[in-house]
Amino acid sequence: MTTLEGLLYGLTVALQPDILIYCVLGVVMGTFIGVLPGIGAMAAISLLLPITYYITPEAALIMLGGVYYGAQYGGAVASILLRLPGTPQSAVTSLDGYPMARQGRAGVALFASMVASFCGSIIGIVVLVLLAGFLSRAATSFGAADYAAMMVLGLVAASTIGAKRPSKAFAMVVLGLILGCVGTDVNSGVARLTFGRTELLDGINLVALAMGLFGVAELIGNITSAERKGSPPHVSLRQLLPTRDDLRRMPGPIARGGALGSFFGALPGTGSTISSFLSYAMERRISRRPERFGEGAVEGVAGPEAANNSAAISAFVPTLTLGIPGDPIMALMLGALVIHGVQPGPLMLEARPEMFWGLVVSFGIGNLLLLILNLPLIGIWVSMLRIPFRWLYPAIIVFVCLGVYSVRGSGFDIAAVAVIGALGYLLALAQFNPALLLLGFVLGPLIETNLRRAMLISRGDPVVFLERPISAVFVVATLALIGSSLWGAWRRFRSGPAA
Amino acid sequence: MAAIDRRNLLVASALAGVGALLPALAVAQQAEWPTQPVHVYVGFPAGSSPDVLARLVTEPLAERLGQPVVVENKPGAGGVIGVQQMLAGEPGYSFGTTINGPLTTSPRLVPDISYDVQNDIAPVALMATAPLVLAMAADAGPADLAGFIEAAKADPGGIAYGSVGQGSGAHLTAELFADAAGIEMLHIPFTSYAEVTTSIIGGEIDAGFMAPSAALPQVEADKMKMLGVTSQQPFAQVPDVPVIAGNAGMPEDFRAELWNAFIAPAGTDPAIIDRLNTAINEILQDPDVQEKMLAMGWKAEGGAPADLAQRITDDTQVWGAVIDRIEAAQ
Repeated sequence: MTTLEGLLYGLTVALQPDILIYCVLGVVMGTFIGVLPGIGAMAAISLLLPITYYITPEAALIMLGGVYYGAQYGGAVASILLRLPGTPQSAVTSLDGYPMARQGRAGVALFASMVASFCGSIIGIVVLVLLAGFLSRAATSFGAADYAAMMVLGLVAASTIGAKRPSKAFAMVVLGLILGCVGTDVNSGVARLTFGRTELLDGINLVALAMGLFGVAELIGNITSAERKGSPPHVSLRQLLPTRDDLRRMPGPIARGGALGSFFGALPGTGSTISSFLSYAMERRISRRPERFGEGAVEGVAGPEAANNSAAISAFVPTLTLGIPGDPIMALMLGALVIHGVQPGPLMLEARPEMFWGLVVSFGIGNLLLLILNLPLIGIWVSMLRIPFRWLYPAIIVFVCLGVYSVRGSGFDIAAVAVIGALGYLLALAQFNPALLLLGFVLGPLIETNLRRAMLISRGDPVVFLERPISAVFVVATLALIGSSLWGAWRRFRSGPAA
Repeated sequence: MAAIDRRNLLVASALAGVGALLPALAVAQQAEWPTQPVHVYVGFPAGSSPDVLARLVTEPLAERLGQPVVVENKPGAGGVIGVQQMLAGEPGYSFGTTINGPLTTSPRLVPDISYDVQNDIAPVALMATAPLVLAMAADAGPADLAGFIEAAKADPGGIAYGSVGQGSGAHLTAELFADAAGIEMLHIPFTSYAEVTTSIIGGEIDAGFMAPSAALPQVEADKMKMLGVTSQQPFAQVPDVPVIAGNAGMPEDFRAELWNAFIAPAGTDPAIIDRLNTAINEILQDPDVQEKMLAMGWKAEGGAPADLAQRITDDTQVWGAVIDRIEAAQ
């Protein structure tokens, strides 16, 4: 079956009325789940699993897929309006989206995020259709050394995002790395920094960390600041529309973010949180005016949103082509297929073409629906800012608790989110950037396990990082990046202490 | 003092009277139980394999008990959190299903565990077992189990195998196998079977003990091969894979299986445990349930609470010895 035939065949599957209904259901649910802080696709999909027993496997996969990528759209909303990331991957969006909202440009930020999400998804779909075979081979040829080197590059590249002072940025990354160490060490089975709590054996809950550092910390900050006690700025309809300058700034970040996301999404175990961080870091690096980032740069919204959406689509590459789930949510979806007697694996494309092509076409339909659904909603979301904070904040706290509890049904995690929130507030007072903490927390464990795994496999020979071509490229790029930063610092130093 | 003594005497005689009534009461209680929803704690997230397995049993169980059976997912620490939560629940209405780890190896491997298996857990029934298969990339050298052992003997530590973490079933199984075969392999811990599979197919590591359902699709696509299965009998999901026991010089009693069991807190009324055991055994006889379990890679089992108790004791000893050897080697 050629690609074109496949797509046409997929249309006949995805446009069946009952399947279309499940697609709509999935994306609508995904949007709202994404908007609600902390309640992510994981909780929603596990709740929906029992329902899927009663529908066809195609409808089940298409609905669950809709929830998965739909949540990426919704996640940006609270992140932009309230600095309250609906999902951990949209935390980055708040870095510039929230300043935009405070400047009365919430509508523009939401518009940028929706359009970027849509375009990112389309890039992801194109990559999935044209390059699935290539990407799945790339995924299996990526070894531990390659992952480790790539993540180090990511950490170095992103470690200065949104920081006024390098020393403060460094402190946050290191704190993130330390928090990432909490839990059972995969290699030795030793419990690290758990202080005798079995609840910490699997590490700190990522959702609790993101909600605490961003959402709860922001709420505490707003309660104490007089400025936000008054009524929020009035937003006119005109301000919802992006200016010509905004529109001009968006295509580049969207294209780059989409490409970055579709690459990272296809690698098992990396995923959309990392791609949105790296997209942000990349935009800031190549921008001619990096100082605008963190002050409401539309590129800082468009890039990461395109990246996490394209990653959500290309995450299906290893799942569909290799039968290997790249993240726990994909594993859940594969589980849904197994219950239907569909064995996901390398042969699925040949054995069940209706599944593969139907899903691919449903991605297109679903994303179009999401765009149509979300653009008119922008006005409604922005008007949420007019709700008095004394009503809004208690409701948000309830949702945060619900969301954190939904991850693993743990009361401990709710206590954790309160403690982390207090920490986040103190960090904000001292002008530390919590995004860097989150970055260290996400990348640290990946770097550590892959580094140690690479060293184990090479029997302790560090040359492996230079022998493997993929890893060597990343090592050289990392060194070049560090070198150029040092060179820049040296030149500024030489030209006198003017800055 | 005298007054108290007299009161005690009164209480004692009253109790003696009650004692005579006790058997009758127990019957009445059994007929009435359960009077409220029953909670079953599962130490893994909703939608995971242990969770789906639990629900295959709890749904028909609710019909038989005439009360809702609520599955409570309390994931964490390899299932230990679920067992701990079960023990904190209301006696008679708090039960659990768990994989073998929390009842056999976790007390050795997980620090700060709050329960003692012998004293705190009452076995109800073994629900299902699952073997692992020894898998390699399709183009790897050894053609069969004998070839694998030969290759490993020729190059001690040369074969790298993946597991899903230090102390995981996949790790301990591989070490049990290595000890029985008299070979030495290099352990590479991963965090999921997905990563182990990718790494084997990509040629980064050589082998791994995996769930048959994880290896099967790769075998069908000619990317992997299976050299042996760790159950005593051939496993229905992969009927062509030879059992390791008695093959290529391996001992006849070689067996390494994951299992899933229904448990209760110690101190649960034995009549309740009996009733649950009977109901669960009936459910496990249902061909439809058996078929659904097999599709997920589990073989429906069953048996008396004492059988499960024996299994816990046996496996604790077998895996304890493996852990001793691993610790001694470090």
